[in-house]
Amino acid sequence: MSATTIDTATGPGKLEPSAGRQGTFPDAKRLEYAMTSFLQDLGATAALYLEACVHCGQCAEACHYYVQTGDPKYTPIWKIEPLKKAYKRHVGPFSFFYRLLGLKKAVTLAELESWQELIYDSCTMCGRCALVCPMGIDIPSLVLAARHGMQAAGLVPRDLWEPTDRANREGSPLGATKEVLKERIAWVSDEHSVEIPLDRDRADVLVTVSSVEIMKYPTSLAAIAKVMRHVGASWTFRSDGYEATNFGLLAGDRKGQRDATMRLINAAIAVNAKVVILPECGHAYQALRWVGANVYGKALPFRVLHISEFLAQEIRAGRLTLKTDPRSMTFHDPCQVARRGGVSGAPREIFRALGADLREMSRTPGLNWCCGGGGGVITVHHADPLRYRVFHLKMQQVEETGADVLVSSCSNCRLTFDDGQAHFHWDKTAQSLLEIVANNLAETH
Amino acid sequence: MNGASLLDFARGPAFEAALAIMTFGIAWRLAGIFALARSVDRSEPRSRFSGLRGLRIILSRSWPRAEFRERVLEWDIVGYLFHIGYAVAFLGYAPHILLIRNLFGLRWPGLPGGIIAFAAGVSAASLLALLGHRLSSPVLRQLSNFDDYFTWLVTFAPLVTGLMAYYGIGADFQLMLGLHIFSADILFVWLPFGKLMHVILLVFSRGTTGAAYGRRGAPV
Amino acid sequence: MTEETILDVLGRRGFTRRAFLQLCATVASTLALSPVDAAEMARRLEYKPRPTVIYLSFQECTGCLESLTRSFSPGLAALIFNDISLAYNDTLQAAAGRAAERARDTAMKDAWGKYILIVDGSVPMSENGAYCTVGGRSAVSDLRHAASGAAAVVAVGTCAAFGGLPYAAPNPTGAVPVSDIVGEERVINVPGCPPIAEVITGVIMYYTTFGAPALDSLRRPESFYANTIHDRCYRRPFYDRGMFAKTFDDEGARQGWCLFELGCKGPITRNACATMKWINGTSYPIESGHPCLGCSEPNFWDKGGFYQSLSTPTGHWSREHVLGGAAALGVVAGVGKAAVSRSRQKRVPKSGSGDQKSGDKGKDDTKL
Repeated sequence: MSATTIDTATGPGKLEPSAGRQGTFPDAKRLEYAMTSFLQDLGATAALYLEACVHCGQCAEACHYYVQTGDPKYTPIWKIEPLKKAYKRHVGPFSFFYRLLGLKKAVTLAELESWQELIYDSCTMCGRCALVCPMGIDIPSLVLAARHGMQAAGLVPRDLWEPTDRANREGSPLGATKEVLKERIAWVSDEHSVEIPLDRDRADVLVTVSSVEIMKYPTSLAAIAKVMRHVGASWTFRSDGYEATNFGLLAGDRKGQRDATMRLINAAIAVNAKVVILPECGHAYQALRWVGANVYGKALPFRVLHISEFLAQEIRAGRLTLKTDPRSMTFHDPCQVARRGGVSGAPREIFRALGADLREMSRTPGLNWCCGGGGGVITVHHADPLRYRVFHLKMQQVEETGADVLVSSCSNCRLTFDDGQAHFHWDKTAQSLLEIVANNLAETH
Repeated sequence: MNGASLLDFARGPAFEAALAIMTFGIAWRLAGIFALARSVDRSEPRSRFSGLRGLRIILSRSWPRAEFRERVLEWDIVGYLFHIGYAVAFLGYAPHILLIRNLFGLRWPGLPGGIIAFAAGVSAASLLALLGHRLSSPVLRQLSNFDDYFTWLVTFAPLVTGLMAYYGIGADFQLMLGLHIFSADILFVWLPFGKLMHVILLVFSRGTTGAAYGRRGAPV
Repeated sequence: MTEETILDVLGRRGFTRRAFLQLCATVASTLALSPVDAAEMARRLEYKPRPTVIYLSFQECTGCLESLTRSFSPGLAALIFNDISLAYNDTLQAAAGRAAERARDTAMKDAWGKYILIVDGSVPMSENGAYCTVGGRSAVSDLRHAASGAAAVVAVGTCAAFGGLPYAAPNPTGAVPVSDIVGEERVINVPGCPPIAEVITGVIMYYTTFGAPALDSLRRPESFYANTIHDRCYRRPFYDRGMFAKTFDDEGARQGWCLFELGCKGPITRNACATMKWINGTSYPIESGHPCLGCSEPNFWDKGGFYQSLSTPTGHWSREHVLGGAAALGVVAGVGKAAVSRSRQKRVPKSGSGDQKSGDKGKDDTKL
């Protein structure tokens, strides 16, 4: 990732030279902004979760950070301790007594700063903890609330804030601007001899893309184009709504998140799309499929599909026919698509259509270990050593399947796998499910 | 205060007051949670009744998934021994059943004293083990606060006083019975204010997540 | 002239020495004394001067005296009350009116500081003691006077020991137990409604022979009141096995199962019923199918109903109203608190990211 120009102008959302602090407003204001944001997120659902915790500690046993380090600070529910304190002191039914008896002290700025690494560096919001919790507490949603507060206070790790800020300004976190997109499309189209429609006025399907794909895996642009040609869809990319990643969501920047989502929604409405296809990207699926309608304020006037859902749908409809790829494969379910998104059947339908020898990593689809790069963690470079430790867990899980090919359907996971592969000199390279499908399209008739 | 007056107090005014405070506290806490702002999820559900189907979490979350068992099952079992022992001792003992009949008009056959004492003993031993675990595990020690230890005490006290009364250990029966009922009164009073409230919140908390995850078609 | 001893009295009544020793053995076994103590008792009684007993009755029903006189160990009761020394008892004595009063005064003066004072019934304190008077004097003044010259005060029956029925709520006569008047440290309590005859006579016999017996915290002789009815109950195994009579005429009742569910107070009642039994060891309430009322315990009248089991609450609150009211108040408190929290969400100043629109506070539309 290229460095962002440091804007020294005052005001939130701007970077200041110290790492992990944005803006130049005074400390008291930072704290006030954080608390304000906390309060705003502490509605009935968050309250229920924070009231229900019985301090059983089981979430730690589901968390790759705790499992790999044994350090109790990585206990998931502990990562949102400042939010919990704010809740007990200011919002809960008995908050008066907590204040009166001093049972919960006021949250301090120092506390928030020291919690930054727990809220950002060591939580991918993968949601395994939510599946072990005997009380069924959805801890990732609380982590997101904590991130909202941290962002309001200007306390996002610098490495994560840079791409977020850039996305807010340029429309893409990794510099994949409209111009870059156009260039890439022209190049890929040429290279792979496939037409890639851009900015058509009307299309049934609006296809979106992750800037990770644009910048690192451009082949996937060709792959989607080949698939769309194969199924004969009316589709387009739109230069006013192509970036599916949503760093606002990852950083806890509500406005950035909302703007990024609205760009996609408006583009889809503009082309009168019936379906919006989200790329191989985990949090993009969360942001539009499950949060999009809430940002929009009403039901979305189109269907939202993850690319794997689209592929499975087309296979089911008989429009997509594949050649057999009998290799032994294992599939890394991206957390935000499977565990937290509900898409785990579709990829398996695709593997069946490919005739692949699928070797599962876990008994429950979607309960595999997180790659360690989600939730924006891959961008935070000072967290790399920790990320490699949790990646090792993932590596072991992949190895245990004995499969020859490692497949995923999230370019962010893929990025994490590539980085981990290089670090550990591992022999496995994560493949894209979409690209495998595109490489195995039956001859068109 | 001697045994007779403690017993009269514990099963008289203290019991009535404990029930009233418990009811008041439960209503306060639930209302205080549910009257907070709520958001409407406008996303299109995975399928029509997928949210409802997610409610199976209310039962299914009672046992850890295969993926987690290796790391959590042992202490889950100890926790279950405590809970089941407690339930057997509370719901199976004839004098307790009489209390329930007095309050709600329900009744069922009791179990022999020996079984009750065994269940209570298992429960007490498990509770001691769980306290040991809480004190020795860095994760639990970090999370624990006054509520955890006080609730432990308030939960443990009726078990121990009940067993002591049953076996005639310690003070005379009347005093032990008075202490036993009084400790149960305290348990009722404390229920809405500490983590004991999980007996009620459990359903809501699991249900909320179950409905949300179910809506998405995500595993619960 | 030397004082007449107990043996002298017995001799006059035609008791042989052999019969006397047998009597001592019987009394000793009642008191759970060892054979050595029985011999010691006989030795002491032979030379003990004949004691004087003053028996005062206040707010009582004469049930205690009935129990005593209908004792099936007549030797012992007769020994004490007919032969030894009963100087005054307004029910039993032949004399009446002023003659009786004079006899009492004389007996008390003669044995001042040495007589045993037995009190039966509670002492009313309201209206200056007007609820119980004898010869124009209130019970409380009679008691104070008699107690001041007594070597020992024995409160017989639960009324004298703990206030009993007159003391039960709302206690219209302001009844108090004997110990409230004469001081707890001077009293030996022999509670029961009534007490077992052998317990009353046994205590007096013991006192005459050995002096004050060992007492429990309620000043009851430990030799009779150490165990609960429950501890010694022959139906205890049914309790332990959870076998209870549910009604007075069900199969459990016929089979003689535990009466706990029918309100038995045996577990908290200390008395000798289960071991000594009544009517010469014939039976006791539980054996005849009725739960123990707990009559030898303080406030037994006010411990909920006699047929209400021990583990159930005794409060008389209207639960629907109290709990309904508590729930309503709780909801008000909770909703009120939530409203305060929500208003704080609305009042918040603009946050750092400057993106918070009004109208959606607490409704986070960007959450996962």
